[in-house]
Amino acid sequence: MEVDEVVLFLGRHAPFDALSADVISALARRVEVRYFPREAMIIDADKENHALGIVRSGAVELRLGGTELNHRLGEGGVFGYPSLLHHERTRNQVIAHEDSLIYQLPKTDFLKLLDDHEALRGFFAKDEAERLRLAVEGLRQSEQSHGEAAMIAVKLGGLVRRNEVVTASPGDSIREAAKLMTRADVSTLPLTDQGRLLGIITDKDLRRRVLGKDVPLDEPVSRVMTQDPITMSLEDDLLSAMLIMSQHNIHHLPIVNDTDEIVGVISSGDLLNRFGMNALQVVAEIEAAGDAAAVARAARRVDAVLAHLIESGVDADHVARFVSNIGEATHRQLLKLGEEQLGPPPVPYALVVFGSLARQEQAGGSDQDNGFILDDGYDERAHGAYFERLATFLCDGLNSAGYVYCPGNIMATNDKWRQPLAVWKERYRDWIDRPDPENVLNTTIFFDMRCVAGKEELVDSLREQIFAWSSANRIFLSFIARAAAHTKVPLGFFRNFLLQHDEKEGDVLDLKHQAIAPVVDIARVYALALGLSEVNSEERLKKAAELDELSGEAVSDIVDSFEFIRSVRFRHQSEQIRQGAAPTNNLSPALLSRFEREHLKDAFRVIRDHMDIVSRKYAGNIQ
Amino acid sequence: MKLGWQNWFQEKRFAAQWERAKEAAQSTPIADYYNDLLPTDQHLEDAPLIALDFESDGLEENAQLLEAGWVAVEGCAVKLSSARRLRIRAESKLQGSAVVIHRITDDAAAEGQSERDVLQALIADLKGTAILAHAAVIEQSFLNAACLRCFGVPFVGRFICTMQLEDRWFPKDRAADGLRLGKLRAQYGLPYYRAHDGLTDALACAELFLAQCARRQTENLLTEDVLMRA
Repeated sequence: MEVDEVVLFLGRHAPFDALSADVISALARRVEVRYFPREAMIIDADKENHALGIVRSGAVELRLGGTELNHRLGEGGVFGYPSLLHHERTRNQVIAHEDSLIYQLPKTDFLKLLDDHEALRGFFAKDEAERLRLAVEGLRQSEQSHGEAAMIAVKLGGLVRRNEVVTASPGDSIREAAKLMTRADVSTLPLTDQGRLLGIITDKDLRRRVLGKDVPLDEPVSRVMTQDPITMSLEDDLLSAMLIMSQHNIHHLPIVNDTDEIVGVISSGDLLNRFGMNALQVVAEIEAAGDAAAVARAARRVDAVLAHLIESGVDADHVARFVSNIGEATHRQLLKLGEEQLGPPPVPYALVVFGSLARQEQAGGSDQDNGFILDDGYDERAHGAYFERLATFLCDGLNSAGYVYCPGNIMATNDKWRQPLAVWKERYRDWIDRPDPENVLNTTIFFDMRCVAGKEELVDSLREQIFAWSSANRIFLSFIARAAAHTKVPLGFFRNFLLQHDEKEGDVLDLKHQAIAPVVDIARVYALALGLSEVNSEERLKKAAELDELSGEAVSDIVDSFEFIRSVRFRHQSEQIRQGAAPTNNLSPALLSRFEREHLKDAFRVIRDHMDIVSRKYAGNIQ
Repeated sequence: MKLGWQNWFQEKRFAAQWERAKEAAQSTPIADYYNDLLPTDQHLEDAPLIALDFESDGLEENAQLLEAGWVAVEGCAVKLSSARRLRIRAESKLQGSAVVIHRITDDAAAEGQSERDVLQALIADLKGTAILAHAAVIEQSFLNAACLRCFGVPFVGRFICTMQLEDRWFPKDRAADGLRLGKLRAQYGLPYYRAHDGLTDALACAELFLAQCARRQTENLLTEDVLMRA
């Protein structure tokens, strides 16, 4: 005999839907049903709690500390478990928001259920951070179980054909090396000394560095080889190999074993054959493009790459890096074409990018943020026209390639952002020494910067100077920290609404501004406070943990939150792309799955907590 | 509403009926039921209640009972651990309408237990409780008729009728079917249930009762405040 309605209901709602019919049926018989009219107290704070609550109909509100609106649960919502799990007094007040029918599962039955069913433990995991960790793990597992490939899981060891590596000595002549390559029909020749890899030479090198420069063929090959090439091990995975290749624009990677002996070479072709359409191919096409129109055609495929990577089960961090690599390649190639058209630059310069591309966290639908840092030998009258034309070529090209003009006009075409190094330094000095509360929000983006082309030393020099100033200036830090703590991270969801502070219900979730930006802001505060050269948010946070500024556990919590939020964003962007729409950062809460809602709520919580920490730590100096 | 003279008179008459039935039931299988009568002057929260619903092939007193579903309400909570639903083996061919309404066929009805066994199990649970039903006069007359059939004694008990309670506590002009269980539940924001399964209806009635008591907003309701009146 079953209590049909109760069994049906439990079977429709997480986490009970994961249980077998028999278990649900037995569970239903342990339930007690109560009715609470609107405004009635279901659980009071700081009391013993005896039961898990499940909203059968109506809605309840959880109030932390009895005051601030904290969270609202509709039909199927589950509450009251932290106190049961910890055997402690309740922290939240739970009030009926509407007339509500509540199922209560007694504590002993609830705890026994958790003991017996591991599947439920993740759902009721002790805190938000642990639930998130389990969710991210679960995502990775499910991602690996579908799609054409689990790229993360494929080790390079499985792709390398061993015992057929043809090598030469660095002392051999270029001619000997070339003949060996022809005989063995290889396009890459590792150069070793007693098994140790010293360099590598490729077909392309022979063409560019030897024939193109009239280097005599009797010279030792060491003169033209790439020294100390990047290598990977058999244990590394395919995805990392692809990432390295797209990042450094290389097409061959020597693979070494535990004792640093070369055991094979893997080419981008090997990877392309295996995975068809992907980021490497697009990067290669961008680099082969002969004019801006061809660059744009190739770069516009970034959306397809994004969708493909998501479907192939690549995690958000890697997707963002691939998307960023395509963005970088687009910038580099446009600049190269521009220089070909306009002639070599009259003084050294660097193309610097800001924001998500600098952090290698780009998603779909990004605009451009860039500038030129010119050598201090720059003379406006003599060189001004050249760089203005180069900037126009670059920014127009980027716009055609889908990186639309920056609405805030942060572009090299704006002469404000096309200046000698000394002027750049002066500008940063001004921001740091005279922080303006109105303006600080608009300047934070400039503290995430990276050189993508040109003379890297210019950007390095600027960055060193900035960090020296910023880490010494507590007032500036407090402004940045306050700006970071300023964002209103949502509280959670209620039916098809987004719950925000001040009890307002929103109907659009802006993942970029409401959830991703706060993590970026937090990471930036640490970077500025500690003078970290890392630009990527995850790397900044990990570095901050190494320096004991925050705990490793705290970092993994926030990194999990960041990964989860970005995975939700990418999943929805890939869905938009699949439907032929342009990817955006806004989504309707109605489109979120129950799983996404639950864990986004956890992630919001983790982020809010960390905003408080940052605020306490660094924003205390003023007021 | 405090006990008026009508209620006092009704309680007197009930006591006489109870004693007569108790006398008659001696040495029958349901004799024990009459050893425990729920007092009317205690707090409702302390009173054990049983929400009950019969499925039958008609509404007249001699209708064939097909199923009994019941569940306990204690301390303003429905205890699903006490939920029971027992099929009753049909002694004669079912009336056609019941087959349509309850989707209980002759074959299914034949699988149940005897009416006598079901009644014994039910009445054991009813001891010392008040019986909660929507249109409780029907459950009252079914119980009485069945006890006379099976044990040759009448059934006397305390009843709470959610239909009558609604009309008494929240009187207003209503549509002809305005007091139907499903309609009332919807007004209280209670979920929609598939009707006409004995246990589901008993549960539905129990939940409605909790909602009515909550909306009544009376501190310290006594059992006598909610009992069905003549």
